[in-house]
Amino acid sequence: MRTRTLTVLVLVALVLLLPGALGAQGGMPATQGLAGQSLRGYTHMFIAYFIAWALVLGWVVSIARRLGRVEKALKE
Amino acid sequence: MSRKIRWTGAALGFLGITGTLVLHWMVFFWVPTERTMGVVQRIFYIHVPSAWVAFMAFGVVAVCGAVYLWLKDDRLDAAGVAAAEGGMIFTTIVLLTGPLWGRVAWGTWWTWEPRLTLTLLLWFIYLGYFLVRASTDNPQRGKRFAAVVGIVGALDIPLIHVSVQFFRSLHPAPVVLKPEGPSLDPGMLATLFVGLGSFTLLFFGFFLFRYGVERMKEGLIHRELTGGSFPGTEGAAS
Repeated sequence: MRTRTLTVLVLVALVLLLPGALGAQGGMPATQGLAGQSLRGYTHMFIAYFIAWALVLGWVVSIARRLGRVEKALKE
Repeated sequence: MSRKIRWTGAALGFLGITGTLVLHWMVFFWVPTERTMGVVQRIFYIHVPSAWVAFMAFGVVAVCGAVYLWLKDDRLDAAGVAAAEGGMIFTTIVLLTGPLWGRVAWGTWWTWEPRLTLTLLLWFIYLGYFLVRASTDNPQRGKRFAAVVGIVGALDIPLIHVSVQFFRSLHPAPVVLKPEGPSLDPGMLATLFVGLGSFTLLFFGFFLFRYGVERMKEGLIHRELTGGSFPGTEGAAS
């Protein structure tokens, strides 16, 4: 349970901090050229897809675990 | 869980995953890049289908809630819970992917404009749905309260849809559901429809499994209370 909470916190922190950190390191200068904008767009896009699949996968795993628990209890 | 629910759920889930793989191929290798926003606009192909599935799921919650209040059939309550859980997952996706897109397109993660605010409100209303269920000692009362929250919450959905038309908003206006027809590039429209279809299939596949789990949990509680069997849980252990 604690590990899961930690994992969620780390993921949330990554999502919130990564784009900002890239900007702070000069990855996204204030006056962006086209290339800079593209890179920034890719980062955000991949994070968005990662979040979506992490959440869907999390839901599936959660359903599977609950199903296993209930089936086990019904067998007893 | 009955074999029928299990197999239907697995088939829908498999079709949904296949559709999603096709969607990813289209998003990353096929669909044209939007001219002004660039690649970040590709978030659109998961953001909009997630919103569609979330609204549909909360619609299911409302319908199941209304009929539950009338018939008091626990199967409707189980369907409502399963749909509400899926709706929360997909609304969370909408609320997290939107700011990532907005940061690049608008220059800000979040703004308290009507559509975003109402979507956040929707998330909190359905969080309340689960809190209300868990807050009473009497399960039947909890189910009734939750059904009412589910119905009231769904009233927010049409408001979210029309908010960009009636209020000043940063959020783009609808590009598909509008009187003069879709204004998207045909390739983008095709990708969007693949996304809508595959997310819908995924949702219903997982919804069926979640419904089965809820029914089995109720069966377990019933068995503990009465020591007898419970209709709908035959073959659960097989």
